[in-house]
Amino acid sequence: MRQGAAVHGLGWLFWLAPAVLAAALLFGTAVGETRIPLATVFDVLATKTGFLDRAIDPIELSVIWHYRMSRAVVAACGGASLALSGLILQALLRNPLAEPYLLGISAGASTGAVAVTVAGFGAGLLSMSAGAFAGAITAFVLVALLARAAGGGTGMRGAAVIILAGIAGSQMFNALTALIIAQSASAEQARGIMFWLLGNLSGVRWPDIWLVLPMALVGLGITLWHVRALDAFAFGAESAAALGIDVRRTQVVLIGTATLVTAIMVSVAGAIGFVGLVVPHAMRILVGARHSRLVPATALAGAVFLVVSDVVSRIALPGQVLPIGVVTALVGAPAFAFIMVRGRQR
Amino acid sequence: MLRFTTAFIATFALAPMAFAATSYPLKLTSCGHEVTIEKAPDSVVSVGQSTTEILYMLGLADKVKGTALWINPVLPEFAEVDKTVERLADNAPSFESVVAKKPELVVTAYEWMIGPQGAVGTREMFDDAGIASWIMPTECVGKDNTQSMDGARTKLFDTALLYQGITELAEIFDVSERGEKLVADLRSREESAVRKAKDLNLPEDVSGVFWYSSADIEIDPYVAGLNGVPGWMLSKLGVKNVVTSEEEWPTVGWETIATARPTFIVAAEMNRRRFPADDIAVKREFLTTDPVAKEMEAVRQDRILTIEANAMDPSVRAIFALGKLSNALSGFCLSK
Repeated sequence: MRQGAAVHGLGWLFWLAPAVLAAALLFGTAVGETRIPLATVFDVLATKTGFLDRAIDPIELSVIWHYRMSRAVVAACGGASLALSGLILQALLRNPLAEPYLLGISAGASTGAVAVTVAGFGAGLLSMSAGAFAGAITAFVLVALLARAAGGGTGMRGAAVIILAGIAGSQMFNALTALIIAQSASAEQARGIMFWLLGNLSGVRWPDIWLVLPMALVGLGITLWHVRALDAFAFGAESAAALGIDVRRTQVVLIGTATLVTAIMVSVAGAIGFVGLVVPHAMRILVGARHSRLVPATALAGAVFLVVSDVVSRIALPGQVLPIGVVTALVGAPAFAFIMVRGRQR
Repeated sequence: MLRFTTAFIATFALAPMAFAATSYPLKLTSCGHEVTIEKAPDSVVSVGQSTTEILYMLGLADKVKGTALWINPVLPEFAEVDKTVERLADNAPSFESVVAKKPELVVTAYEWMIGPQGAVGTREMFDDAGIASWIMPTECVGKDNTQSMDGARTKLFDTALLYQGITELAEIFDVSERGEKLVADLRSREESAVRKAKDLNLPEDVSGVFWYSSADIEIDPYVAGLNGVPGWMLSKLGVKNVVTSEEEWPTVGWETIATARPTFIVAAEMNRRRFPADDIAVKREFLTTDPVAKEMEAVRQDRILTIEANAMDPSVRAIFALGKLSNALSGFCLSK
């Protein structure tokens, strides 16, 4: 019965996922800050894919193709990446509060971003994104070294050590960020950074896709490759080892993957919260704990969720764009509450 | 550019004080705060380039013991004078560095520097230190600084507030005559700039946007809101601002800006190099290479103008910039 449900769930996802994702992407492309008729949107998509050759207003064409389409694709990739990162960390560390930023990535990214913009590191040549990426990786490396130095092995204590090292690292980098901001002068600057730190997809263009899309696909591939190991970790690292899984190698590969996709996403769009924490839990309630279903479902749900949140962030207040992190929490919290209650009723 | 000011200072510095002398103690309300000035201050610290330059224009440079918050080089005619004045910080000075100068008065152009959430300090902190504080009226009349750091302007900026500020400062320092002369001079410059703007007789559908900077080059830029100084310039030119927010410097997406199809773009030039987009060359490069921005008529026709960033903030430079803008627009052949 249970096995049958699993197969059924997989098939459902397999056929429906591309359609759901395509619908979300179309939604993200059709709706934006300004109103452009749906017919124009279809014309642009048909023209760009070679099915049609129609004269379209160049501004509308560029807005739809270069801004909205690229933004929707990056949002989808980012949502999938963050949700998968959260899923990996929750599974490996056996901690429901684990999320992509647990290991100091967002704190490090913030420090890197303010070091570039506020402290003038790089003298205007380094972009905020480059600073954020460098900061994220530095923070993670320090956290990893600290966790390693503190030891603790691969078991429950090991997971606790990793989490504590992450907390220590995050606190230190948050303090560094606060220190730099405290020395800063301009309100405009501080505002720019806060806006970005909460997540901002407005700077996304096609070149970002060539960074984010391969990372998301590789991340998904690696995670799918490890679904058995992830299942085994549900019973603890010792049980996984007993099942013949190379615990250390799995931890290194999966945590490394989660870190890299998160760091790339943070450098492109800031630290978008909530997706990585809540989407995996919601999917666990909806499709069950088996990772063969959970991994694709989480990736799809993360992708769709972030595309929709981004659309809401653009249209919620006319003439103004909200930080997407605010929207993910505002839209996500009630949705998650609903899923939790329904999950319990089932 | 501003030779008039030098000549003007030379004239008034020697002129006898025919105007009514200020009677002390002078009590006034500055941005909702009661201020008592016991005597003409001998020392003042100025946080903000616009207040510093007004003090210089009033011939009070010798009273200025420290300056801070610079965006661009000082007006050229004050380059020498400014060298003799200590610069406490290029950006926000610390409270103690201000207090250490033992000024009788501290003046600022920004409430986010000295105000309820002041980066330098609150007004009460200065009261406790026995230092009177004064804020340009442009910063609080018709402006709400409680919701956001840069504040929102609920009423269109008016140069009357700038003139009021100059008059108040002159009165505080007992140099009212100089103040009146400076205001009269600026008024006549404003009138001639406005006349020039009106003479352009621009068609009704002309619109513009003022781009200050962007936190990262491709993300939503900081642009001028409806009612700030750029809004005032546009209203004098009879041109529509494509931005509709009342925030002083809202972030608005390029999608919104491009689809509003502004006739021209005014980009801010500044010495600050915090964001790559502070650099005017980077701004131009973005406009001409971004897939959407480069499609804008304003960019295709090269109707990209440059004015100093601090002319977009309430200051005497705004008046000079209006003239510059009118001149530039007259070159675009947009008239009816």
